[in-house]
Amino acid sequence: MSALPPIAIEGVAFWHTRMPGWTIARAVIRGEQDASATPAPRPTPGLLAPTERRRAPDTVALALEVAARACEAADRSPAQLRSVFASTYGDLGISDYMCATLAGTPTLISPTKFHNSVHNAAAGYWSIGTASHASYTAISAYRYTFASAVLEAATQVVCDEQPVVCVAFDVEAKGPLGTVAPSTGLLGVALVLAPPRGESQRTLALRVEQGSAADITQARSGAAALVAENALAPCLPFFEALAHSTPASVVLALSDHCLLHAQVSGSQ
Amino acid sequence: MSTLKFRPLRVTAYTVCSAAGTGRAATLSALVERRSGLTPNDFGASPLATWIGRVPGLEEQALPAAWAEWECRNNRLAWRGLVIDDFVDAVAAARERYGAERIAVLIGTSTASIGASEDAYRRLESDGRYPADLRRPIVHTPHSLGDFVQHALALRGIAVTVATACSSSAKVFGQAERLIRAGLADAAVVGGVDTLCGSTLFGFNSLELIASERCRPFDVARHGINIGEAAGFALLEREAGSGAWLLGYGESSDAHHMSAPHPEGVGARRALQDALESSQLTPASIDYINLHGTASLKNDEVEARLVADLFPSRTFASSTKGWTGHTLGAAGIVEAAISLIALESGWLPGTLNTGQLDPACGPQIRRENEQRRAQRALSFSFGFGGSNCVLALGRGDLT
Amino acid sequence: MSAIQSAGERELAELIVTALNLEGVAPADIEPEAALFKTGLGLDSIDALELALEISKRYGFQLRSDDENNLRIFRSLRSLAAHIERHRTT
Repeated sequence: MSALPPIAIEGVAFWHTRMPGWTIARAVIRGEQDASATPAPRPTPGLLAPTERRRAPDTVALALEVAARACEAADRSPAQLRSVFASTYGDLGISDYMCATLAGTPTLISPTKFHNSVHNAAAGYWSIGTASHASYTAISAYRYTFASAVLEAATQVVCDEQPVVCVAFDVEAKGPLGTVAPSTGLLGVALVLAPPRGESQRTLALRVEQGSAADITQARSGAAALVAENALAPCLPFFEALAHSTPASVVLALSDHCLLHAQVSGSQ
Repeated sequence: MSTLKFRPLRVTAYTVCSAAGTGRAATLSALVERRSGLTPNDFGASPLATWIGRVPGLEEQALPAAWAEWECRNNRLAWRGLVIDDFVDAVAAARERYGAERIAVLIGTSTASIGASEDAYRRLESDGRYPADLRRPIVHTPHSLGDFVQHALALRGIAVTVATACSSSAKVFGQAERLIRAGLADAAVVGGVDTLCGSTLFGFNSLELIASERCRPFDVARHGINIGEAAGFALLEREAGSGAWLLGYGESSDAHHMSAPHPEGVGARRALQDALESSQLTPASIDYINLHGTASLKNDEVEARLVADLFPSRTFASSTKGWTGHTLGAAGIVEAAISLIALESGWLPGTLNTGQLDPACGPQIRRENEQRRAQRALSFSFGFGGSNCVLALGRGDLT
Repeated sequence: MSAIQSAGERELAELIVTALNLEGVAPADIEPEAALFKTGLGLDSIDALELALEISKRYGFQLRSDDENNLRIFRSLRSLAAHIERHRTT
């Protein structure tokens, strides 16, 4: 067993096509409100300069929206924060474009789309948009992506005693790739994690243990059905815990035999 | 929260497989004998006119049956990298010592097995589905690589794939150090694998970054990169009596442009600064620098200036991409391995294929090899998307 | 000098706006003689590559990035449209 000391959750953000924001997502999770009847258009990445903004694909728009909202909620300037970006599949629309174009006319690859095909595109655009020289990482861990991202961000907080924004997202699959990499809708989440500063803060204590998928926390709220077909759905139990003000224990999978226990304190 | 102090880690085993050679001994021979692994591009149906670093024989070597689910070129190359230089055995011994759940797996890549999807799109069924042999979901996600390595090594703890373009398999060293420092692991398998695929060949081509001839890092007449494929791994341990050292590292972002480096090298300088600070080294104490040196116009200019500004003239700096090509997500581990080979052998590789050095270069950047006792090395990885990582590596005593 | 777009310039303006996803720019509003790069429309080197690609697909000829006349060719909507007129094969 290995455990990290508790850290603070300073900001939370959430964006889904039918729950475009943490306020509405929290209300849907708590059963206080229905999800939006109509799908929201993808967010507009306001902090990007026009040149980057017009190039941004769905993953970048989504990731930057939740990253920015989490920093706002935490009252932290983005430029100061290290960041962890995570996605199960990256930009599936761009991947479909790349594979289709390579199969037909490979010398006619769009340079802009190639830019956007790298797994660290969102992280790169974020660093450019926030003019931040702080280090970022971009990771993937299949269905364990969100749990891995939280653990990585928390480890950075503990080691470097600095706040970190943790961003995870997955988008809609397009084309034949969708038959092996299924995902629908847009789902993005973000947390600002930081060294604890005071008793009024909500804290997160993480522990890594051996265990199986049978032991993970199941999503139970009204939001579960809405996000179920998105590749990042495994994150939902964590946000269900955050949506309530009572202390909660959430178990997520980190790999086939390894579990992340997350103890969330109560909030005011 | 009490401060967890950075402490150097032992590199108790490592391996590298590239176009230059399979394994450490073969790589050293290629470096000493100035034998480039680059060959004219013959990859794919209509190969671009360029040179590549192709690892021979991957087409003939399927994965063992136990790993059939992960079958693809990228994982074949990963497997080849794991079974050389007794690396699998070293990990097995560590597994006995620490427990399978206490060894983290952190592997870098840029495209993982996207090549398998590229292949599928050329052979789609009439209903738009993938051909049956490619209908294996784990292969069509970036974590194809990290997941394969974890299973192949029978490890049961933390496993993550890092994809920050050219800095990926350097950053994993830092990520491992933090996990070990925080007590979440006692050891880590770090590494990187990238294989030739249409996405990178034609993608970099669309940005006009591909050279039609052999790449010439830091040459005044350089005109672009050659793409290479490679695999490399290292075993990092907190407590071990012998081995090389990860002395420190630094990471930063350029915050400038997705495909061009910051013109003043702001991010690179910051990563370098942090690497020196964490390893408690000064520029004067560095014997060898393995430069990023891709032979792109912009990278080499920025990097040459940085080295000329900050290092004394005795520092020996070179790019080894003339031997391996730019191995993208594997560049970090390959060049860390080459740095360790240089420290251990006393053979410092120069810069292959390069004729006349760009005037921006200072005396540090060398074309010829040199035999020189070296204890402390830096490896630079400056990536697409502005992600920078500098590793400080060493051999011998810590003081 | 006419500040009104010719038919060829209008077609190119539409291609530019679409290919580069220029938000809030109507093709008809691109001044034929105004700078395309750095100032004016503020396009950069990636946009140049993207435009070269789209132009090659639409008009069937390759714009070369090492053409020493590129500064002149790419200077404005008018100069680029004129260059296309001279070299198009489709």
